Amino acid sequence: MRLENNYYEITGTRCDTTSGTFHIALLKDCDVYRGHFPGNPVCPGVCNIQTIKECAEKLVDKTLTISTIKLCRLTAVATPTVCPELDVTVNIAPTTAGYAVTASIADDKHTYIDFKGEMMSV
Amino acid sequence: MKSESIEKLIPQRSPILMVDELVDVHDGVAKTRLAVAADNFFIDKDGLLAEAGLIEHIAQSASALAGHMAIEAGATEPPVGYIGEIKKFCCNFRPRVGDVLHTTITLGAEVGGIQIITGETSVNNKVAASTQMKIYIQE
Repeated sequence: MRLENNYYEITGTRCDTTSGTFHIALLKDCDVYRGHFPGNPVCPGVCNIQTIKECAEKLVDKTLTISTIKLCRLTAVATPTVCPELDVTVNIAPTTAGYAVTASIADDKHTYIDFKGEMMSV
Repeated sequence: MKSESIEKLIPQRSPILMVDELVDVHDGVAKTRLAVAADNFFIDKDGLLAEAGLIEHIAQSASALAGHMAIEAGATEPPVGYIGEIKKFCCNFRPRVGDVLHTTITLGAEVGGIQIITGETSVNNKVAASTQMKIYIQE
């Protein structure tokens, strides 16, 4: 699954070697909303987790898998109309097994998800 | 148990329907099944299921149990549930197309409409992923 240019598109990026902020626009015509939920489009929390992973991959320029999630809180319901534009903020620290990743997705009103976990390069 | 079609138990639909069947419910423990199809929304380009797909499958498995209990209690529509929190998720391996996921959901405490669950997904008796979750059930 690749959600970039399907579920979201990146409209701006600010990155250094260990952190990045990706400004994204949610694509309201994404196929996923046919099923989540019919007549009531709501961003699947797992799509926001995948979005974080894809942004982390850009930061390290590697394909990653999520090996563990220590804690991921989904603190507000996101929809493509409630929050059409979002900032994905990702921080990365190398570990022996891969990368410790902390990340969040927010706009100026709410934080929709915060994530703390480990990713490994494939 | 009486077998209900999955569409009666959970509100998710294609392309993000991630449970084929609620197989068994007994003493707050549910068992579900999903065959990973080639056109599954969560398949990565290496032919393996993304971790997000495993998480969604476990969440919908818990949702199927909630739907089963709601319908037993007289509801006509399945309740809509949202993932509130994922904790201690561990992915040992990503299943591939053709694999059948067998998942066990165990109910924990329920406080103020938030249900705590644990889920474990196996393929060929090997644990692919496990997690705790809080699921917010909309009344």
